[in-house]
Amino acid sequence: MTASQTLKRLVAPLVDPAVYDFWAQKVHPTLSWDRCLARVVERHVEARDTVSLTLKPNGLFTGFQPGQHLNVTVEVNGVRLTRSYSPSDSLHKDGRIRLTIKAIAQGKVSQHLVHSCQIGDVVELGSAYGDMTLPEEPHAWLFVAAGSGITPIMSLLNTLTQKPLQQPASLIYWARTRADLCFSEALHKMTENDPLLKVHTVLTREPNRLENELDGHPRESLFRNLVPDLERRRIYACGPHGFVQSVESLLADKAALFQAEAFSPSPVVTTAGAPVNLFLSKSNISVQIPSGVPLLEALEAEGLKPAYGCRMGICNTCSCQKQLGTTTDTRNGNTFSEPGAVRLCINSANSDLTLEL
Amino acid sequence: MTSSMTSVLKNSGKTNRPNDTQLAAFGAELDALRERTLTDLGERDARYIRRIYAAVRYTEVIGRGLLFFGLFPPAWIVGTLLLGISKILDNMELGHNVIHGQYDWMNDPHLSGKTFEWDIVGTADHWRKTHNYSHHTYTNIKGMDEDIGYGVLRLFPEQRWRPFFIGQPIYALIFALLFQWGVAIQDLRFGQYFKGKKTGKEMLEEMKPFLKKSRRQLIKDYVIFPLIAGPFFLPVFLGNLAANGIRNLWTYMIIFCGHFTADVELFPKSVLRNESRGQWYYRQIRGSSNLTGSKLLHIMSGNLSHQIEHHLFPDIPAHRYEEMSREVRAICQRYGVHYNRGPLIKQFSQVIWRILRYSLPSKYVPIKASA
Ligand SMILES: Cc1cc2nc3c(=O)[nH]c(=O)nc-3n(C[C@H](O)[C@H](O)[C@H](O)COP(=O)(O)OP(=O)(O)OC[C@H]3O[C@@H](n4cnc5c(N)ncnc54)[C@H](O)[C@@H]3O)c2cc1C
Ligand code: FES
Repeated sequence: MTASQTLKRLVAPLVDPAVYDFWAQKVHPTLSWDRCLARVVERHVEARDTVSLTLKPNGLFTGFQPGQHLNVTVEVNGVRLTRSYSPSDSLHKDGRIRLTIKAIAQGKVSQHLVHSCQIGDVVELGSAYGDMTLPEEPHAWLFVAAGSGITPIMSLLNTLTQKPLQQPASLIYWARTRADLCFSEALHKMTENDPLLKVHTVLTREPNRLENELDGHPRESLFRNLVPDLERRRIYACGPHGFVQSVESLLADKAALFQAEAFSPSPVVTTAGAPVNLFLSKSNISVQIPSGVPLLEALEAEGLKPAYGCRMGICNTCSCQKQLGTTTDTRNGNTFSEPGAVRLCINSANSDLTLEL
Repeated sequence: MTSSMTSVLKNSGKTNRPNDTQLAAFGAELDALRERTLTDLGERDARYIRRIYAAVRYTEVIGRGLLFFGLFPPAWIVGTLLLGISKILDNMELGHNVIHGQYDWMNDPHLSGKTFEWDIVGTADHWRKTHNYSHHTYTNIKGMDEDIGYGVLRLFPEQRWRPFFIGQPIYALIFALLFQWGVAIQDLRFGQYFKGKKTGKEMLEEMKPFLKKSRRQLIKDYVIFPLIAGPFFLPVFLGNLAANGIRNLWTYMIIFCGHFTADVELFPKSVLRNESRGQWYYRQIRGSSNLTGSKLLHIMSGNLSHQIEHHLFPDIPAHRYEEMSREVRAICQRYGVHYNRGPLIKQFSQVIWRILRYSLPSKYVPIKASA
């Protein structure tokens, strides 16, 4: 522990983090007692609807490994929203991070980051997670990416190619059209510098394809043609839920190792009464409850005793943090997919849920 | 006093309760207003509450700063006033409203109703129970809403007179000066201890969070800041005492004006049986009264000047009550529900009248079920 950490521990009982942050941020916008805040210092248009933002985090950032993801929290119209984004480069020496974000139609956070976020804006970062990282020893690789799934893979490739490759590596990269491709130039340079690296692009909606560009959806023949030694490759795949699922069914049992990360949520259960899994993260309990029933009642039916008062949504006694999943307000039928406070007495489950209870 | 008596009599004319079908439609209109406001929450509300937060911080720092020069009387006066204002804003427009969960939708951990703590001796946890739960759910139901006279005052003819109440004007004054303490210990039920229903050990256990919080507050205001001032210990000490006193008197006045003016009604426990949404709304309106006045009055009262709207929509950001109140009034008018409001002077005189009048014996009036 450093001297400053020890000092911080000693004075902690006297400090109200909110008050500290208020005054500290008059001095510098990313200073905070306990939150990792980062300032946007650079913005670069990467492809159609896609920008890269370079962030400078404060001293509370604990770093990441190439291939990992960060939870990014931004305030959009007064509401703090959290989404995962993957650094698209290795950690810069000066502590900066580069994220690459593609705007999704009607996407709350991605639209904000791509179109409204400006240099000087501050976002909050969570700690890095994900295990699609690079092991110490060299391997033969196949990376499969679709759309914004290229971001963590770009970070992996940037790191891998810092030294000459010892084993072959391939990237097969799906996008709609050429205008949607990110990092074309950087990828081109990498292949020029290292003959063991091969990059193939597949464009599903490009009217004027070039000779070296492929088309169509993932299929076994395509993988076999491009990567004849599939069996010895370690495969990392990244992209929307449906894409990742189809690649997994094609390749999972044919390669040395298969790992995948889906970037879009899987569809939610909506039939009322269907059972959903509820995980209570503080007490480390998992239970199955019916969807559509107020959570307070459902928990009580399982023999649990969450705090409550009015049982009608007034007093806020039963409120607790929802970390994951979708709930419905039983009073008006509105659904909420964001993490945040939910009142157990007037919200029911709509999907699997994680509650901080 | 006779004129006030007539207002009570008149009162019965004002409270023609709409029938159940009307009340259902009445409730639906208020629900719709609630939904409209909820969908409109955003940037503007976030900016507002952060500005209030900033105002609390700046007034506190400037107030405490000036008190260090408190030997110079103008600095002491302005410093004390600013610190008092800071505490009022912290307790009312910020703390009270945030603790209701009015800003939970922002998802900002610093403004979360569940964890927010305020600059007052009572713990926020305790408040969540007595106020958010008991008082807001059981508003003006005799025997359930402990805010009716706070267990020491007789404010309604529906409370039985006992000789103890003769001294009520004095208790009321002491209670006002020490309001934050009264509210802080409200839930501890010392009565049960004195009646032997609770052991000393149990009592002590229940008091722990309160003792911890109040120790922290006392040390802050009466030890740490005066000590920092060194030779100016005394002016800082007295300034802090006065600032807490100002806050106590002000909050007492606002809160009493919210529920103890001449026209408000009490309800029997039986109303709870199958109470519909519309009936619940009706009870909230009949049990509350508003203050008319300037924007400043609304902010300094944490918008509890819109007590009626606060009771209808306790989880909607309070600075919205002003605009909502216009629609609530129109709805009430359409259904012939009396909407009680008036300037601070008028409303507070009625409160004082209740305190004085019901310290004296009066005929015990049992509560009518269909108030
Ligand atoms: C581990 C992980 C890493 C990620 N890394 C990146 C990254 O590096 N760059 C990046 O741009 N995105 C990345 N994402 C996706 C990102 O987290 C958001 O889901 C995406 O930006 C959409 O958020 P939104 O708030 O704009 O959309 P929302 O407002 O949440 O959703 C709007 C609509 O779009 C749908 N939707 C949500 N996400 C997607 C998606 N990814 N593709 C298609 N439709 C979607 C929703 O179902 C909804 O109907 C990653 C996701 C995960 C889980
Ligand atoms: S129990 Fe009162 S809000 Fe849920």
